[in-house]
Amino acid sequence: MVDTDNDRRIKLLKGQSVDSNKRYWHTLIGYNYRVKNLRRVNERMKTMQAIYRYREMIFSLVRRELRGRYKASFLGFLWTFVNPFLQLLVYTLVFSVIMRSGIEKYYLFLFVALIPWIFFSSSVSVGATCIVNQSSMVTKIYFPREVLPISFVTSQFVSMLLSFVVVLLVVLLSGLGLVWTLLPMLIPIMLLEYCLALGITLIVSALTVYFRDLEYITGIVVMAWQFMTPVMYSVDMVPENLRGIFMLNPMTSIIRAYRDILYYQQMPEMNTLLLSVGMAIGFLLLGILVFGKLEKRFAEEL
Amino acid sequence: MSKMNEGNKPELAAQSSNAPVIQVCNVEKKFRVYYDKGYSLKDKLVQWGRNRYQNRYVLRGVSMDVQRGEAIGIIGENGCGKSTMLKMLTRIMYPDAGSIQIKGRISSLIELGAGFHPDLSGRENIYTNASIFGLTRKEINERMEDIVEFSELGEYLDNPIRTYSSGMYMRLAFSIAINVDADVLLIDEILAVGDANFQTKCFSRLRDIKATGTTIAIVSHDLGTIQTFCDKALWLSDGKAAAYGNAKSVVESYRQYMNEKYIASLRAHEEAERTPAAKAKAATSEEEQSPSTQNASASEMESSITEIDYNANRFGLGDVVITRVTFRQADGQIIHTLVEGEPTDIDISYAVHKSRYAYNFGMGFYTPENVCLYGVNTQLDGMEVKLTQDAGFVRFHMDHMPLLAGHYYFQCAVNDINGVPLDYYRRYMDFDVSSSRAAIGCIQVDHQWEIF
Repeated sequence: MVDTDNDRRIKLLKGQSVDSNKRYWHTLIGYNYRVKNLRRVNERMKTMQAIYRYREMIFSLVRRELRGRYKASFLGFLWTFVNPFLQLLVYTLVFSVIMRSGIEKYYLFLFVALIPWIFFSSSVSVGATCIVNQSSMVTKIYFPREVLPISFVTSQFVSMLLSFVVVLLVVLLSGLGLVWTLLPMLIPIMLLEYCLALGITLIVSALTVYFRDLEYITGIVVMAWQFMTPVMYSVDMVPENLRGIFMLNPMTSIIRAYRDILYYQQMPEMNTLLLSVGMAIGFLLLGILVFGKLEKRFAEEL
Repeated sequence: MSKMNEGNKPELAAQSSNAPVIQVCNVEKKFRVYYDKGYSLKDKLVQWGRNRYQNRYVLRGVSMDVQRGEAIGIIGENGCGKSTMLKMLTRIMYPDAGSIQIKGRISSLIELGAGFHPDLSGRENIYTNASIFGLTRKEINERMEDIVEFSELGEYLDNPIRTYSSGMYMRLAFSIAINVDADVLLIDEILAVGDANFQTKCFSRLRDIKATGTTIAIVSHDLGTIQTFCDKALWLSDGKAAAYGNAKSVVESYRQYMNEKYIASLRAHEEAERTPAAKAKAATSEEEQSPSTQNASASEMESSITEIDYNANRFGLGDVVITRVTFRQADGQIIHTLVEGEPTDIDISYAVHKSRYAYNFGMGFYTPENVCLYGVNTQLDGMEVKLTQDAGFVRFHMDHMPLLAGHYYFQCAVNDINGVPLDYYRRYMDFDVSSSRAAIGCIQVDHQWEIF
C-alpha cells in the first residue's frame, strides 16, 4: 500500500519544507532555509579559529615578504626607509621647482597622503593575484586560504608603518612640527584603512581565481580611484554639487584624516569618518563571506 | 601520539581507540571538463549561460576506514583518482557527495618546501615552512633541534638556500615535514628524496612515526613499499574501489592485473609487427611445396638473419619461441612479487617450431636503469640442452632468491648453440621484490659479522 500523504511529507522535509509551488515559501517551522545560513555562520566561526591557529604562518609570510624583498640587494632592509625618502626627494624637486602649486609645502601635503594611499592601492591591485601567484601552495597544501590575503595586506601595512618613520621625521624637520596629542589618532585611522583594504582584497583575490582579467581591471580601477580620492589635491577643489557623491568614497575621509592630523594639525572630522567605518566593516564581512564561498573550488580552478 | 590537535573536542581522547581516524564514506568527486575553457572575462561573457562542459567523475562511491596507527596505501593506474583522493584527505578539495572525517592534525608530504624563499637562510625557511603546516612558534622551537639534526645540514643551515644543492634542499624540506608530529600523515610519491642512505633513514623514521600511533596514507607506484609498509591498501580503478583490504593481497591482485595488461600490450605490439612477416612466411610455405624446397628454406634462412632487428624488445628467428615465463614459490603457486631469501622457481615455457641440434637458454635480472645484476645461460653453466618435445619448460631454481626489495625486470632468451638468437626478450616483464632486510643495494650477500 502506498501512502501518498507520507510520500508528500517526506518530499517536503527533504526539500527543507519548501513549498513546491512557491519558491522561498517554507511551510513548516524549524525546517526552513535559515538552518543552512546558521550552518554557514558556524563554518565561518570555525574558519576564524583556524586562522588564529595559523597565526604563525601569517607572521612568517609577512616576514618573508618584508625580509625577502630586499635580501639580495646591497642595502638590504635599509631600502624600506631609503625608498620612501627618495620618493619624497623626487616629489619635492618636481613640485617646488617645476610644477609650482598654490598649496604651501605641497610636497608634504602630498607625501602625507601618498604613503597611506600606496598601502591601499598596492594591497588591492597587487593583492588581487596573491592566491593565483601561490597556486603551487594552494593546490598542494591545506591551510586556511584567508591567510594569503591577510598576510599580503599585513605585509603592505607593516611597510607603510616603516615608511611612517620617514614621514614623521620629515614632518618634524620640515618646520611644521608634530602635535603629539593628535598622533594617537593615527592608530584607529590606520586600523580602519587596514580593514577596508583587507575586505576589498579578500573579494578581489578570490574573484581573480575565477576571472583572471580582474587582475588588470583592478589595476585600472585602483588608478582611477586614486584620482577620485583627494591624494594630489584637496577636497575644496571639488565642485560643491559633486561633493556629496565624493564623500561616499570611503578612502576620501581616511586620506583626509591622515592629512588633518599630520599636515593641518587639527582633529579629523568625525561624521564622514563614521561612514567609512561602516563601509570598512561592511566590506570586511562581505569579503569573509565571498571568500568563504569561493575558496572551496580554488584548487580546481588553479 | 601524545599531542592531540587543539581543535578537537575534549571527549575525543576518551573515545575508544577503535574509532577510525580517517573515515571516508561514499565519496564522489566530479570535475567539469570544459570543451573550451576560458579564464578571461571575454570568454566568460561570450560563453555566458552556455554550459560547454561535461561532468567527468573522478571518484564514485569510494569508502575506507583507517584506524589509529595504521598505514594505508592507495594504488592504481595513472588517472584513476589516487591524487584526487589524497587532495580531498588534505582538504584542498572537497567531495561533491559523501563525507570525509579526519581526527587530529594533518600533515602532508605532498609539496615539500612550500613557501621556501631562496634568499633566506635554511633556519629562517624552517620557520616559514613549518608555520605553513600550522605549527606555532613555540612548537617550531621545540622541534628545531630534531629538524636540524635530521636534515644533516650542519654548518650550511645559516646559508641562503639558493646556495643549496637540490639534495640538500629536499633533505631540509623533508626533515621539516616529517617532524610536524601530525596525527595523520599524507604522502604522495616523495620517497625519491636524497641518496639511498637518506631514503633508508626516512623509511625508518616513518616506521617510528607509525609506531607512535600516527596514521599514514601513501599514494605510490612503488608497490614493494606499499606491501611492506602498509597494513591496508585501496586499489582505485576508474574512480571506483577495485579492491580494498589487506595490503599484501590487494597489491598482489593489482600486480597480477598490471602484469597481464602489460603482457597483453606486448603481445598486441608483437602481433602488429609480425603481420607482414607472417604474410611473407605464408608465401614461402607455398614455395616449399615446389621441388626446390631445400633452396627455398635456405634462402629464407638467409633473409631472416639479415632481418633480425637486434634493437627490438623481442627478436630472433622464431624456431623456438618462449611462450610464457612464470615465477613460482616453493609450493608451486604462481607469484608476481618475489620475496628475498625464499626458494623460487622461474619456469620458461617454450614451443619448438623447427628443431635444431642444441639450444642455449638464458635469463637475467636487470634494474630499470638497464644495469644487469645477474645473467647466466645454460651454455655458461656447461649444459647442453637438446629439446626432444614440441613444447615444455625450462626451470631456473634458486634456493634463496638474492634480490633485495625494489623494482626489476626480467630478461630471457633462447639461442641456438652458435649464438644465433631464436627468441630473445630484452625486457620480458617487470616485477617487484619485497624484503624484510634493512640492507641497501640490490643483492643480498650471505654473510656474518665477527668481531675480534
